[in-house]
Amino acid sequence: MGNEASWDWNTDLKEIPVEEWKERFNWVEDFQISPDGESVASIVNVDETAFQVCVNGEVWDNAYEKIWGLKALPDNGFSALVYDGEEWTLARDGEEWSGRFDFIWDFQVTPDGKYLGLAFQKDSEYGMVVNDLPWDQTYTNMAGMTLSDTGTSAAVVQAAPMKAADVDSFKEGLFSVALNGTAFDHTFLNIWDLSFDATGRRLAWGVRLNREAYTVARDDIVWDRTFQGVWKPVFLTPENVLAPVRESGKWKLFRDNEPFWKRGYDQLWKITLSPAKGDIAAVVADSFGKWTVAVNDRTWDLTCDTMISDIFYSADGSCLAAVFKHKGLWNLSVNQTPWTLFADKIFTPGISPDGSLVAVVIEKQGKYHLAVNNRIIAGDYDFLTAPVFSPDQSKILVKGIEKGIYKRRILSV
Amino acid sequence: MNAFIGFIMGPMVWISAMIFIFGLLIKFIFIIKEVREKEQYLLSYMTVRHSLRSICAWLIPFYPRSTRLRPVYYGVSYLFHILLFVLPVFLFSHIVLMDQSLNLSWPALHDGAADILTLAVILALVFFSLRRRLEPDVRFLTSVKDHLLILMVLLPFVTGFLAYHQVFLYEWMVIAHVLSGEFLLIIIPFSRFSHMITAPLTRAYTGSEFGHVRHAKDW
Amino acid sequence: MNENDAEIIEEATDEAVEKGLERLTSERISEVINQVLHKETGARFKAYVDTCMRCGLCSDACSYFLSNDRDPRFSPAAKVKQTIWEMLDKKGKVSKDFLRRAVHIAHLECNVCRRCSMYCPFGIDMAYMMLLVRRICHKLEITPQYIQDTVNSHSVTMNQMWVKEDEWIDTLQWQEEDGREEFEDLRIPLDKQGADIMYSVIAPEPKFQAGLIYQAAVIMHAAGMNWTMPSRPGWDNSNMAMFTGDNEISGRIARTFFETAAKLNVKRIVMGECGHAFRSTYDVGNRQLAWTMAPIEVVHAIEFYHELLTAGRITIKEKFSKKVTLHDPCNVSRGRGLHDMARKIVAMTCSDFVEMTPNREHNLCCGAGGGVINCGPPYKKERMRNNRAKAEQLAATGAEVLIAPCHNCHSGLEDIIHHYNLNMEVKFLGDVLFETMEKKIYRPGE
Repeated sequence: MGNEASWDWNTDLKEIPVEEWKERFNWVEDFQISPDGESVASIVNVDETAFQVCVNGEVWDNAYEKIWGLKALPDNGFSALVYDGEEWTLARDGEEWSGRFDFIWDFQVTPDGKYLGLAFQKDSEYGMVVNDLPWDQTYTNMAGMTLSDTGTSAAVVQAAPMKAADVDSFKEGLFSVALNGTAFDHTFLNIWDLSFDATGRRLAWGVRLNREAYTVARDDIVWDRTFQGVWKPVFLTPENVLAPVRESGKWKLFRDNEPFWKRGYDQLWKITLSPAKGDIAAVVADSFGKWTVAVNDRTWDLTCDTMISDIFYSADGSCLAAVFKHKGLWNLSVNQTPWTLFADKIFTPGISPDGSLVAVVIEKQGKYHLAVNNRIIAGDYDFLTAPVFSPDQSKILVKGIEKGIYKRRILSV
Repeated sequence: MNAFIGFIMGPMVWISAMIFIFGLLIKFIFIIKEVREKEQYLLSYMTVRHSLRSICAWLIPFYPRSTRLRPVYYGVSYLFHILLFVLPVFLFSHIVLMDQSLNLSWPALHDGAADILTLAVILALVFFSLRRRLEPDVRFLTSVKDHLLILMVLLPFVTGFLAYHQVFLYEWMVIAHVLSGEFLLIIIPFSRFSHMITAPLTRAYTGSEFGHVRHAKDW
Repeated sequence: MNENDAEIIEEATDEAVEKGLERLTSERISEVINQVLHKETGARFKAYVDTCMRCGLCSDACSYFLSNDRDPRFSPAAKVKQTIWEMLDKKGKVSKDFLRRAVHIAHLECNVCRRCSMYCPFGIDMAYMMLLVRRICHKLEITPQYIQDTVNSHSVTMNQMWVKEDEWIDTLQWQEEDGREEFEDLRIPLDKQGADIMYSVIAPEPKFQAGLIYQAAVIMHAAGMNWTMPSRPGWDNSNMAMFTGDNEISGRIARTFFETAAKLNVKRIVMGECGHAFRSTYDVGNRQLAWTMAPIEVVHAIEFYHELLTAGRITIKEKFSKKVTLHDPCNVSRGRGLHDMARKIVAMTCSDFVEMTPNREHNLCCGAGGGVINCGPPYKKERMRNNRAKAEQLAATGAEVLIAPCHNCHSGLEDIIHHYNLNMEVKFLGDVLFETMEKKIYRPGE
């Protein structure tokens, strides 16, 4: 993104009626809203086995037998996976890719919107396709597809054949990582959680070497030590990889084969780096069933009994927000201070670049509300999507549907 | 000889009682300690309510289905366990000894009744022993150790019974009675007899898993 | 010597077990056994071993014991004796023949149904002991082939049956199209962020029984639910690793499952009629990850149907008239106390119901559960022999239709019915509901 400055931050309210779409079409699927809030789109059914994408009331030129995976793109356009004549392809703002596949899925987009990636299957062979360029090499099986922020792609691929229920071949290790279609040399029993560095050139992943030994591989080179378990590794720098590993029954944070944090936890995952300050945060269980956040191996003064689903840093690293569930209700904790939302659902929070403002959409008893810094500032929507702060942080863009009308609102904060 | 008798009738009684009580207590503490150290998570599934619910359900005679499927064994076993405690505690001659040494006394069982009940315990033990030989599934599970355990319980009751009736070798019987009783007390914390304290714990845990977590009954 | 003590020589039927045994050294055997029995267990295990008085009250709990003319070897405590006690006595120095027998006992002569812990006066959890044996076998790499293959599949694809990612989505889209024969605007909404419900199934549904997804979609649509299904791995709620003692993979499966639901921001997860998957998501997988309970509520189909019927979201057009009986799946009755709710659904949908006895928590296992059926074809004959008690129980009902709200039970009971010529039809509760429901869309206040 990064082009928010060019958006309209002055018009208080823009409306697009969407209820009438339901009369125009046989049915209307789930709404997708562009980041700038200027467009609302949905897959619509126009005839028996004829689907189109409707954007602000205008339909794309072509109708398809099937459409799914409609996504709003960072450039405010829309893309969807479309099927016609027994072939699948991707359509971006109505324009189709040239590539045709037997199936496509796992639609990923880089944050800048420059690269669109998909998993594909053609003639029972599997690969990834990025910006209409499919991998040269394809494989009999594929999992864990990952698109880096710079548009490189990787997946776990099956490097050797295996007959049905052949546990002996499996034991030998059949899986490799393919980067941009080319498989690395080593095969492993299991590979999970591919993780790119910021450049998209280096790759780390978790492996299982045998029934009991887990470790981390960086660019196909495995750490010397093995562990009882491993979760997703993360590049701390282009040269250093962090990973939560389980040793002597406790989860610990290791860096490049060596202990990094001193403490062991009952659980440790979702390693999240502060972009600016170099802090390392993770979701941890201090003891069984007692969840909190650890920053640089020090735990927050917050205990939740159910789950911490994710943690998010502000761009300047000054603010860390955790989405957590305690006693059956969802809430947000910002820099250790829990809010008082107690929601049925809570969506991904948006944090202003300086970390001073945190906005989040919640759902309570079927209605959507927007909370900023623990205060509900807009409510009773039927649907709301992720809010965006204006570059000067004085305003917030609220995008939601209320009584059949899509409303783009600018509110002051 | 007198010194020996003095010892086993005096200090040894207290020593064995202490080993029995503190042995079980220490065992209990060690179990809790080990759970806390190695499997602390188990405690998060335990509730007092469901622990007691399960223990109580299993204390009601013939309430659990399992006990109704083998009523004779269960009935004998139920009575046996009650008598195992009632008899020694309420036996007149035991109370007299307590009175002499600690000046403590409480109502005693009538001697005639105690006599019959002792016989009942002996018969129950004989029954257990026979069952271990005759019921195929129990026999499969039985080892020499199980017969030894029965023998250990049997000895104090048989010797007590014989001593009371002064059938033969009265003094030797008394000595054998005291020794076997003390031995039984001492062995309890170190043998499967420690189910005295472990069984309520396992029952409480299973009762909690069934009741609290799985919303089901365990009897 | 007791004639029962004579060692049973186990036949070499399973290639994976045999090859695994070949690879083992005696050092490795004792190392793994001692590691599992002493390092991975604690006071609970010791208490179970020390507390058992060898009384045999557990025998009557076991359908293997009952099906085999009360053969003492099948008593639950006897299974512990033939495995754990011996391993402890010998300090892990056991022979390969012993291990072959131990693999068999733990994987094929016990459904880990936990009925025996209801028959033991001390509540000793013998299923836990058998799962410890399975964990030892897992580490020694002597787990039976077919169930190991399901765990291999889980570890790679996060589903049990090597269902490829495109096949999964394609199947959902195909069922959605079929479902439009009932309701022209029916949808199986994929990846719908913020739906109330994530509907989840086990891998055999897309693989062999896609019609069940169709039925579920019709029920969801008619009831007017705000629901979704994930297109990405995490859709399969089954967990065979839980039954082979591969606790690490079991945890990874559970994490993928719950994080998929958390990413979709759903309030709860409704699952199809599967018992072991319920056990895994409700009670087991979460523990491996330090979640005390399922972090997102898991609702079994029984609870869900009951909710739809009592809320009037689904109404019954005409009750099912054939004589039906109900099998209580272990993992949702003993495992969750849903047996009475299941009866209420039957009462609301069927006019002629006959009880199977014993029932509710005291039900006999179908004989397929706990991973037994997943050990595959080499063991089917034996499984049928071991399911005689269940067959007798079924026959005694005289019912035409057997309702079994669990996948494993369903398959196991089908086998029993064929083998013992019982002339019964097995149905899911969902089948009955689908057949008897009014195919109209719920509108509040109507």
